[in-house]
Amino acid sequence: MSGLLQAFVDGFINPLTTPAHVLVLLALALLMAREPQRFVVLLVFALALVAGFVAIVLAVETTPARTVLLAVAAALGAMVAAAWAPKLLAWLFAAIAGAALALDSPPQAVTITEAYATLAGTTVGACAMLVVVSAVAAHVHADWQRLGLRILGSWIAASAILVLAVQLR
Amino acid sequence: MRDHEHSNIADALGVALVAALLLASRPAFAHLVDGSATGGFVGGFAHPLFGLDHVVAMIAVGLWGAFLGPPAIWLLPITFPMVMAVGGAIAILGVPVPGVEIGIASSAIALGGMIALAARPPLVIAALIVGAFAIFHGHAHGAELPPGSDAVAFSVGFVMATGLLHLAGIAFGLLTRWPAGRIGVRAAGVGIALVGALFLSKAI
Repeated sequence: MSGLLQAFVDGFINPLTTPAHVLVLLALALLMAREPQRFVVLLVFALALVAGFVAIVLAVETTPARTVLLAVAAALGAMVAAAWAPKLLAWLFAAIAGAALALDSPPQAVTITEAYATLAGTTVGACAMLVVVSAVAAHVHADWQRLGLRILGSWIAASAILVLAVQLR
Repeated sequence: MRDHEHSNIADALGVALVAALLLASRPAFAHLVDGSATGGFVGGFAHPLFGLDHVVAMIAVGLWGAFLGPPAIWLLPITFPMVMAVGGAIAILGVPVPGVEIGIASSAIALGGMIALAARPPLVIAALIVGAFAIFHGHAHGAELPPGSDAVAFSVGFVMATGLLHLAGIAFGLLTRWPAGRIGVRAAGVGIALVGALFLSKAI
């Protein structure tokens, strides 16, 4: 596999294998599933993700991105559990999640081109996960399935709260 | 007559076996079997399953939810993990909660007793009871959450295992739709309360 392709794949896999990223993406996808205009949320997330990557390219200093990601995951998980999703709040958390996920994914590439390929891979991977999970969750109609999604939201919130406490200790 | 005697002997053996298992098992404060944090998802998933007092209390939450019916059947398993996480966060941040082990054992007695007595308090009271006990359970587990890169995977596994115990309780609790199932569920409540009593006697 060429270096560029390998870098893209590494970037693609990163948000799908980093537990904190998976938590926030799952929570956001479950929230998106309840939104009639879920592609707006996706767009806000993607733009914020790119903005975060621009900040990385501009050599922004170390940020508490992981802590912010977990806090957003806890909030989004609680919103899913409560089946409460005001549109503006969903957009706000999508923006924060996108920027924090980007800042928490600095590429480990050797060349600048490979670094860009990694960032592109992360963007595609994170957005693909949001699209797939929200599409599946949006097609859930049975009562017990909806309850299952809310329970999943509460699990995400609980996990994020615990890890957040570890980080703040 | 002979069958009856056999049945009595089988019952006695069953009770003796359960009692031996209870006395040999360790309470929730000893969840880590080898004393070291295994970390990661598998370690987190296995963590709540090693404390029998925790296991029976989690099953009791689901059972009671099923017994109370909607909306408690889904409200309790949704709120419990989040309140438990707050209890865990309190422990991780070093805030002591007195009588954690007594609280966990008492949760099994109280929840088992509620099921056995077929108690149906208002939903707010039921949620408050379960929430208060969730703090103790969370505190016991939070104190053992390993710091570092595995913390996320560990806590996901830990929360999932706890949630699945609730769901197991709910599944069992659905038997209350039938008269015989109702008796079985209430008998399970008696068993859970007895387990709690045994652990309480060890904790005091």
